[in-house]
Amino acid sequence: MGEVKLFFGPNHPGMHGNFSVHMYVEGDTVERARPLPGFLHRGFEKLMERRLWYQNLALIPRICVPEPDINEVCYAMAIEKIAKIDVPERAQWIRMIILELARIASHMMSFPGIGGPLGLYTSSFWGVADRDRILDIFESLTGARIYHMFIVPGGVRKDLTPKIQDLIVKTLDYIEGRLPDYEDLIFKNRIVHTRLKGIALLDRETALELGVTGVGLRATGVPYDIRKVDPYLFYDKVDFEIPTATDGDAYSRVYLKYLEIYQSIKIIRQCLEKMPEGKVNVPLSEGSALRYKVPKGQAYVHIESTRGEYGYFMVSDGGEKPYRVAVRGASYPQTFIGVEKYLPGTRIEDVPIWLSTMDVCAPEVDR
Amino acid sequence: MTNSMNNTIERLKSIIRNLKVEEIDEREVKIEIKPEMVLNALSLLKGSGYSHLSIITAVDWIEENKFELVYILFSWNDGGKFIVSTKIDRKKAKFVTVKHLWPIARYYERELHEFFGISFEGNDDMRPLFLENWDDLPPLRKDFDPMEYSKKKFPDREYHKDVIHEAKVIRGDLNG
Repeated sequence: MGEVKLFFGPNHPGMHGNFSVHMYVEGDTVERARPLPGFLHRGFEKLMERRLWYQNLALIPRICVPEPDINEVCYAMAIEKIAKIDVPERAQWIRMIILELARIASHMMSFPGIGGPLGLYTSSFWGVADRDRILDIFESLTGARIYHMFIVPGGVRKDLTPKIQDLIVKTLDYIEGRLPDYEDLIFKNRIVHTRLKGIALLDRETALELGVTGVGLRATGVPYDIRKVDPYLFYDKVDFEIPTATDGDAYSRVYLKYLEIYQSIKIIRQCLEKMPEGKVNVPLSEGSALRYKVPKGQAYVHIESTRGEYGYFMVSDGGEKPYRVAVRGASYPQTFIGVEKYLPGTRIEDVPIWLSTMDVCAPEVDR
Repeated sequence: MTNSMNNTIERLKSIIRNLKVEEIDEREVKIEIKPEMVLNALSLLKGSGYSHLSIITAVDWIEENKFELVYILFSWNDGGKFIVSTKIDRKKAKFVTVKHLWPIARYYERELHEFFGISFEGNDDMRPLFLENWDDLPPLRKDFDPMEYSKKKFPDREYHKDVIHEAKVIRGDLNG
């Protein structure tokens, strides 16, 4: 039997966004694979160079769909690092709450991601429905459900009112009560074990060599998390653990995401408790914020997103617009070298599982 | 600066003269070096624990007529970041590949070739990655103007007068 060329994507329900893989298949095993990005290339880096510092706030969340807040935090933190702005303490705690809520929402979206290829649609419906509760919090806080544009250089736009804090506490209690159901549905399910265990293997040496970060790396047994190794905001002042696994397969990656939801809930509760009263933002300049100019300088800021290290390298020449902003998409290594070298050997029906659990995310790679 | 970063900088100074070090914050240092020393510095940093390559990117300094190549390295041991930067000539934008040190560099270099027009010796795979049928200057160069390009590529359509007139009639602005 000869080799058959098979096109995966650019549209597939089990994936975030449009990304294509050309697979050369023999029987039902992938022999060679070629990643084909570019379907979502919108030229963000060039667009940012042509807009004012403050105008970009409306643009950057759109780089990453499931978890847009990481962009806002990276952008704001990079400006603050170059301009040496001291952000009020309360604003930093609020940023942490937002980031962790976004992490929960994004992890909830990974259940539909894995439910689609497995045919376990209950987990898809549950995941989307429960994520909606987090989006409700965002809506009452910022007025927007997906792209919040809430975190600005110098702080955050608005304070967390007691009413919204109540809503957060209630939602967290609800989600914590729901999580055992997910465990019963997904992780105690024999079909899931058969389909996910031993699939999409990535060992520790390969993960470190490629530069894979996030759950892909932690599933191989190393507790590497930027929140612990290079703490930003107040992650060094809260108590949380880094769940790890040793198998390095699809099952352990999905299970780690599930365990991380518990840790995020723990972090948000501590934030709400430790958050002091006070201002939530400082004005960047006198007069219109649109006229704001960042002093000359360069900085690299990276944070731990759900998919790994997400970073912004920013260059300012002292002008009204950024001189250059480079975005490090978290899933860059596994999307390119991973698909090319480690997807071969996988059976066709496992390819969506491979791409989904490796967190191949087209919008942040294409930019 | 952390201790291990200080030690690493000392070791870098022993192989590179005139090392320009700029401390951005306590765990982030930028070093500027000459193009011919970059490979040595990167291998030394990789061997000293700064083995995670976060990104390779470039900045177009059009007034100086230079491209600045930026390699950002990160250590999982102490959380230190090194921004290694070097400036190459903009007219003869050529550098050497680092794909033997980090496999993913192959794709970062391919991206830089597409968006800046920098070619990398030793990396032959320079097919377009994100753009399709691109026929202008590499788009992230400062002399590329997106506005002009889109005007050239997608010229304004001509609207016929009677279409607008018809629309006004439908909307009720005009009679008959």
